[in-house]
Amino acid sequence: MPWRFLGRRLLQAVPVLAIVAVAVFLLLELAEGDAVDAYLAGTGAGDAGLAAALREEYGLTDSLPVRFLTYAVRLATLDLGHSFAFSRPVAGVIGERLPVTLLLMGSAVMLSGALGVLLGGLAAWRAGRAADLSITVAALVLNAMPGFWLGLLGLILFAVKLRWLPLGGIGTIGADLPPLAAAVDLARHLVLPVATLALTYLALYVRLMRAAMLDAAGSGWVLAARARGLPEARVLLRHMARPALLPVVTMIGLQAGGMLGGSVVIESVFAIPGLGRLAFEAVSQRDLPLLAGILLAGTVTVVAVNIIVDLLYRRLDPRVGDAAAREGGR
Amino acid sequence: MTPLARGTAAVGAALLAAGIALALAAPWLAPGDPMNMVGRPMLPPLADGRFPLGTDQLGRDVLAGLVHGARVSLAVGAAAAAAAIGVGILVGTVAGFLGGLVDDALMRLTEAAQTIPTFLLALALVSVLGATAGNVVVAIALSSWPPTARLVRAEVLRVRTLDYVDAARLAGRAPLAIAFLEVLPGALAPVVALVGITVGEAILVESALAFLGLGDPNLQSWGTMVANGRANLRVMPSLVVLPGVAIAAAVLAVSLTGDALAARLGGRR
Amino acid sequence: MHSTSARVFGGLRALLLGAAAMGAGVAAATEAVAQEVQRGGRLTVAADTEPRNINPAMVASNGVFFVSSKVVEPLAEMDYEAGLRGVLAVGWEGSEDGRTITFRLREGVAWSDGTPFTSADVAFSAMEVWKPLQNLGRAIFADLEAVETPDDHTAVFRFTRPTPLQLIENALPAVSAVLPRHLYQGTDIAQNPLNNAPVGTGPFLFAEHRPGEYFRLTRNPGYWGEGQPYLDEIVYRVLPDAASKAAALETGDIQLTAFSAVPLTDLARLDAIDGISVIPGGYEGITYHITLEINHRRAELANPLVRRALAHAIDRNFIVDVVFMGYAAASTGPVPATAADFYTADVPAHAFDPAEAERLLDEAGYPRGADGTRFSLRLRPAPWFQMTRATGDYVRQALQQVGIAVELVTADSGAHSVAVYTDHDFDLAIGSPVWRNDPAISTTILFQGGLPAGVPFSNQYGYDDPEMNALIAAAAAELDRDRRVALYHDFQRKAATDLPIIHLVDFTFITVARDEVKGVASNPRWATSSWADTWVAR
Repeated sequence: MPWRFLGRRLLQAVPVLAIVAVAVFLLLELAEGDAVDAYLAGTGAGDAGLAAALREEYGLTDSLPVRFLTYAVRLATLDLGHSFAFSRPVAGVIGERLPVTLLLMGSAVMLSGALGVLLGGLAAWRAGRAADLSITVAALVLNAMPGFWLGLLGLILFAVKLRWLPLGGIGTIGADLPPLAAAVDLARHLVLPVATLALTYLALYVRLMRAAMLDAAGSGWVLAARARGLPEARVLLRHMARPALLPVVTMIGLQAGGMLGGSVVIESVFAIPGLGRLAFEAVSQRDLPLLAGILLAGTVTVVAVNIIVDLLYRRLDPRVGDAAAREGGR
Repeated sequence: MTPLARGTAAVGAALLAAGIALALAAPWLAPGDPMNMVGRPMLPPLADGRFPLGTDQLGRDVLAGLVHGARVSLAVGAAAAAAAIGVGILVGTVAGFLGGLVDDALMRLTEAAQTIPTFLLALALVSVLGATAGNVVVAIALSSWPPTARLVRAEVLRVRTLDYVDAARLAGRAPLAIAFLEVLPGALAPVVALVGITVGEAILVESALAFLGLGDPNLQSWGTMVANGRANLRVMPSLVVLPGVAIAAAVLAVSLTGDALAARLGGRR
Repeated sequence: MHSTSARVFGGLRALLLGAAAMGAGVAAATEAVAQEVQRGGRLTVAADTEPRNINPAMVASNGVFFVSSKVVEPLAEMDYEAGLRGVLAVGWEGSEDGRTITFRLREGVAWSDGTPFTSADVAFSAMEVWKPLQNLGRAIFADLEAVETPDDHTAVFRFTRPTPLQLIENALPAVSAVLPRHLYQGTDIAQNPLNNAPVGTGPFLFAEHRPGEYFRLTRNPGYWGEGQPYLDEIVYRVLPDAASKAAALETGDIQLTAFSAVPLTDLARLDAIDGISVIPGGYEGITYHITLEINHRRAELANPLVRRALAHAIDRNFIVDVVFMGYAAASTGPVPATAADFYTADVPAHAFDPAEAERLLDEAGYPRGADGTRFSLRLRPAPWFQMTRATGDYVRQALQQVGIAVELVTADSGAHSVAVYTDHDFDLAIGSPVWRNDPAISTTILFQGGLPAGVPFSNQYGYDDPEMNALIAAAAAELDRDRRVALYHDFQRKAATDLPIIHLVDFTFITVARDEVKGVASNPRWATSSWADTWVAR
């Protein structure tokens, strides 16, 4: 494990997180209304005395610099604070929702990447023929569709008309299932949202894979391999597909943030209790600590995905691996 | 260009031209405010000659919504993309040209902006700033400039060492003038490839925000139409299907056209 | 004593007869009783919000009651037959001078942990929770001085000023949820974890809340109601999207949606499906209004002629027919026609008449300009319901037709609330105040002058009329029921004359349920009542 590389990447993430934290604070300062207004609006009545008492209790009456300082010190000590909306520590609330979103996002990335590599490879292999045309066009059209729209149509078709799949949520409520059956249950609930998310991002990977394969096809390596009389399958897999994987892997890292954002809308369509829907609630409840926590958790997730992608990249690309080994000094 | 690329480019350009024509002709094709409730609610398509595509749950003309929606979606998409690319170019050029601390600071900022999940940021921005078309543009621009900034910076770093830049420097021109007048034009070509993608992304983000109820309430955009129609998906699917198809067609049109443009300029594939 | 309340609520019964004409709600309820009750099973219903604090003694709101009224019970509940039916109280009596109300409490009731329920719990809830902490109770119990407990089953409420028994009776179902003193005393009540997992005397026990997924309640085996409740379990499945709720009803994933949670446009289709019924009853006790809120700080809007023009420019029947698909009634003022005990039709009417509206605007000195526009206004439709937003869309169009340009401004709940009720940053707004069966609970506050800024759902309109203020104060202290009602008739006439705000339509919600769910809409606050008599046929 390249520990030094890991340490450096984590260190690099610190200023990024600091900028995000400051931006979140400023953003919510611009908001009209605070947590107390949102709360009173939800109860249907209230009076000035109650509002003042609540503000006092939540520390909303402090001056701007004091509030910023409190916020900054808390974050610096890794304390995400207390959520107004849930009356619980933010870390706990996020901890409950993050795994669902990670599962959704992770499965979608895998599906999207795998399908993209497969179909992109196929398209490159059959470049210019019917298969290439249909794959390329289909991927482009899917990419242009709004995810929420595709999800809605899928939901009506597969969950309501055909009843093959559940409507939404992440599990059958109150069904006390043994572990294996519970996993199957969860998987059934995730089929539609994961497929929706994966399909809308498919085009990127298809295009990249196809282009990279075609690039590689014209490279000296491949010509040399063919000249040496290596079997076509081996040339295809070893000399064309493997280098073509590199840009695909890079793209996964670049798309992590986009997919996390895309899951907000998908979670709303499929009633999935994930980070995206939590963000929506945090904004509407003016829950500064919670929104800050979510954006930070989202950012950390993206940073983590990128570190994993980089590690993967080093495994796939021998040149980077060597360089890293030299740099690591062992 | 391969026949495939030529074909998709033609389709893209045709779609885009049709979309722009619709948007421009909206006041003649469907006079009046598309938000007005003009007919019996929930008329199905083709049932009444006055409303060929039917009406929605409040009796608004769907056809009018679609053509006026083209204006909103394309305008918001283009404005947001222009702003994002503008910011990206500015940051990228300054960072790449000045280097040093400025570059470091700007790149950290870019990294931060790129790391925050884009849509989460846009969502937070619009709910805080208010749901107006202008704010939607700002939110999309603020969350989608980093790729341009990185690309421009890389290009600027490449170009700044070329002979003609050195010549300008020797001629004693101001650094920023060199950056924007000499270095930037040479670095712009790859940015064109990003235009199509950025406009398409902007249209999708606008529709997703509108879908979550954060669209401009005074404007009939395609995303708003899907959001309003969602409740009636079972009763009258056309209320959701038609604007959805419009969004997909518009995004497809700009991304295909952008690709074709980039291919022509880049001279590759 | 019980009979007293029954007589008083004769008016309410008239209300319910009117409601029965509206639809099948009551009929469905009666039919359910006729069948053999089947015990056990689970009822799954849709929930669209997850309130952060579900303690009904602190937060008296319908979203909270929907879940917690099954766990924590009030002193009394509304009833189709009797008007008001004792729950934790079995009878009550007001003194001549209006300064004391004596409640006789139900015996043999225990908290779910086995501790007996006594008058000390009622005294604690009233003095430590309703009066200082509850959104509605802070006003209603403002004059409550003390609650005496001469014995375990008697609670005597002492007021510093004469308080109409009628008002307290009308308020009981919403404001009198009783908390267990032994679990709250000595804690920080506002922060008590039980606010998220309530303990009460009700037919169900709070089992768990999985945020974003569901609330689950289970049967309280020690419930005082004979043989009740019938259900083993209630699950509130969180489904934020209206269309998904309709789909879930079809697939049987949920069995009931309340509070018009499915789109009104989908009702006809759902009703036509075998095994699903649309039930409009069961909400008579929680009528909502749609109002046009007006900021009198705008010179144009301070002019009574302009406000009358607004009233003539808006077609209330259009809102009823299109926005509410017929499930609403055009409003004549701040008391809904269904509230027969307080309502009067004898008020100045403002029929839909755009020509008259234009004439009034001309007369007020705002002729159409060269571009056809008289002046421009910003309209903030409240985000609470799809119907408030749709009404905003319509009002914009209606006012534009008489030459008033309107720009819609939307925001989420917190921002909307602060813009209208604290910052007064609006010209017009569409609101949806609740009628809570007595004008003094949440209606006169919309007309009373001199309130501090920052009180949501109150008169933040800049309207302050001495005559109106005097009427409101007189009615609030009037002990004689007939004279009190007469004062509220004057109040309605004054409201329709001045038009400080304009009541557009009155509406109640709609339940859609699968036919196996029985005992639906069995009282006028059914969705926010205990569901002890609800069961599922198999």
